[in-house]
Amino acid sequence: MPERNIDFGKFGARGIKGSDAVARKLDELAGGIATPVTTRRGLMARLHYLTKSARSRQAAKEAGLTVTDRTLKAWLEGKRRPSKANLARIDAAYRTVRRQNVARHLLKRLNRDGRGTRVEIHPLDQSQVPRQLQRVVEYRTMNVRRWDRIVGSWAAGDHQGLDAAWDDTIVDLGSQWGQYEYVTNIGFAA
Amino acid sequence: MSDFDAIDSLLAAVGPEAELPVPHRRRELRERARLSKAQVARALGVSPSTVTGWEKDREPSGELRTKYAYLLDGLAAKLAAETGPETAPAAGPAAPSAGVPVADGFSAEPAEPAEPAEPAEPAEPAEPAEPAEPAAAEPAGSPQDGDGDEVEVLTAPEPCVLCGHPAGTRVAGFAQHLHPADCQTTAAAPPAQPAAPPAQPDTAHTSKPPARTPRTTRSPGRSKGPARRAFQEPSGPGDLIGQAVKAALAEHQGDVETATAALLKRAIPDAMRLLDETRKGARYDVIAHPWIPGILKKQTSRGADEIWEARPKWTRHELPPGRHEVTALDINGAYLSALKTHLPLGQLEHSTGLAHDRRRAGVHLITPPPWEHDAVLPNPIGQRDEPGPLWVTEPTLRLLLRLSGPKYGLCAPPQIHESYTSGATENLLEKFRIVLKDARDTAIEQGDEVTLEYVKAMYSKFVSTMGESNYNRELYRPDWMHIIRSQAFSNLWLKALRAHDEGLTVVRAMGTDELHVIGDWRSVFPEGRGVTEVKVKDTYTATSGTTEHMETEGEEE
Repeated sequence: MPERNIDFGKFGARGIKGSDAVARKLDELAGGIATPVTTRRGLMARLHYLTKSARSRQAAKEAGLTVTDRTLKAWLEGKRRPSKANLARIDAAYRTVRRQNVARHLLKRLNRDGRGTRVEIHPLDQSQVPRQLQRVVEYRTMNVRRWDRIVGSWAAGDHQGLDAAWDDTIVDLGSQWGQYEYVTNIGFAA
Repeated sequence: MSDFDAIDSLLAAVGPEAELPVPHRRRELRERARLSKAQVARALGVSPSTVTGWEKDREPSGELRTKYAYLLDGLAAKLAAETGPETAPAAGPAAPSAGVPVADGFSAEPAEPAEPAEPAEPAEPAEPAEPAEPAAAEPAGSPQDGDGDEVEVLTAPEPCVLCGHPAGTRVAGFAQHLHPADCQTTAAAPPAQPAAPPAQPDTAHTSKPPARTPRTTRSPGRSKGPARRAFQEPSGPGDLIGQAVKAALAEHQGDVETATAALLKRAIPDAMRLLDETRKGARYDVIAHPWIPGILKKQTSRGADEIWEARPKWTRHELPPGRHEVTALDINGAYLSALKTHLPLGQLEHSTGLAHDRRRAGVHLITPPPWEHDAVLPNPIGQRDEPGPLWVTEPTLRLLLRLSGPKYGLCAPPQIHESYTSGATENLLEKFRIVLKDARDTAIEQGDEVTLEYVKAMYSKFVSTMGESNYNRELYRPDWMHIIRSQAFSNLWLKALRAHDEGLTVVRAMGTDELHVIGDWRSVFPEGRGVTEVKVKDTYTATSGTTEHMETEGEEE
């Protein structure tokens, strides 16, 4: 691919991968439980979400929460506390299940019956780059009409897939699209 | 040598001052021409408030005076030309025909198909050979025909860039003859050339208006080029608000209550749509989702961020002795007026230890100066309990800087430690504000409660949800939200100061729009419902020591 950034940040530019920014924004739009899993309140909220029905138990199992029902019951009743490793697993499973549940709704709102959503791309931060190496990288906006691949790979937790999907999207920016592989922020509403 | 040049230019500048009409006449001229103060100010390179001053009592001086006189002269001539159409066309084409001797035997004046009925104007005596009838025979590609906007008539002839002979017109910054024939024929036809200089100084120095009329008198038959029209139709969104109200009333069969409820429900998306409409063709984009620094993010879902909005919450400690009639005034549409403020356009950038830059706006970490006038006036940074540095927004900082300046001298300048700023403009929401204000004024005039409620919901909800709200996800600008609110508080503070300066006793300044005063406030603030006026909320009697509500009159709203 042309203009791929090979050694990003070598001269002091700062930013994150565009696809990471998209995932971050999608997570923000998906919302969810804000209390951290380490507190009792946050843990209970997550466990309730993951054990609400047989389907959600199944989804939690598929998302990596492979503990027995007996353990889950003990956690829910407060007889035992999950270990640190299990807390991390619960959190990860919660995030995965939440994404899967929200994805369909989010996708519909982003596609807006084919009208798409306006996306703002805020370029990378060059304030730490030596003056003579700074380049003009403008703020850009574009309309993204098809979100299926982006939201699909985000819901599946597929980082590489999301990266590929996002790169294919920003190609529409024109010949300078490579400058927008790393960004400070990507903004859109749903 | 250069010293003498400077002296020469000084000497040249000394002369009789240009005559100006009386101030109210200046304003009348501008308004009749439908020019805004901002337009005039931009053309003259001054601020709109200076133009206001000129139209009230001040007198411009020096070069500005000459320019201003030129403008007013031009406007007077233009308006005279509009009222009496016979005078202008006669003066109109005279200047170009003087500067442009055409040798192809067709016509001296630019062909004007839009004005075929124009009487054959008295031709220049110096050029008797020219047929003066307006023949529409000029080739369409001729520069003087197609783009009348690009051609500048020079007051003093300059050498043509093509042939070196004096030319009376300038195109795209280069003095040149308008017709290729002129470049060759000026040498061949010497009698035509001397005619130009006498005509030019004449138009340039003694009577300027005729020199510029040819450009403007063409505009009645305009539709030629979009550029530089003197009188433009105000462009803007159509009557979005009126249409929405009408549609809602029709949908609910004229039931005012349900229609109002329905309109309030869609106020936020409608405000966003109105914003989009008002930003069409504008210079700056509304950037809705920039990166936001941590200080502007809420710490928890219900919590607040670190910005101090300087909300006033002040009650005078001790009243002057005796019983007083206190009036609680209500500032109309405080948030609507506050939409005119310096808003950062793009992403906020961090800086430390820099002085304040007037062209940027954002949030600043400052150590506020001590406030010594708390007995009579509220602290401009509000009721702050903790000492030490705090994050304030642009309006608060500007207010503090202003108060610390030589004009007021009320406090020491604040100390700026850190800033998150971006290039700013005051005009970002200006059209939006004016559309809402006009709709509000019309609604008040017609007693249209539905529109009034709708407009109120539009601007107040727009401001309150433009931050991290889930009710409006299209705009994610907590910085703007804080800045607009602070602007409202700052406006209230300045009203309190004005009341104090005019001799009223300020008793309380509270929230966004509440100001309690003792004294004859009607001489200070006009009463009414417009955004520049105030409304009486309540009147009560207070004695020194206690403040009690004795009686309540005045309309509640």
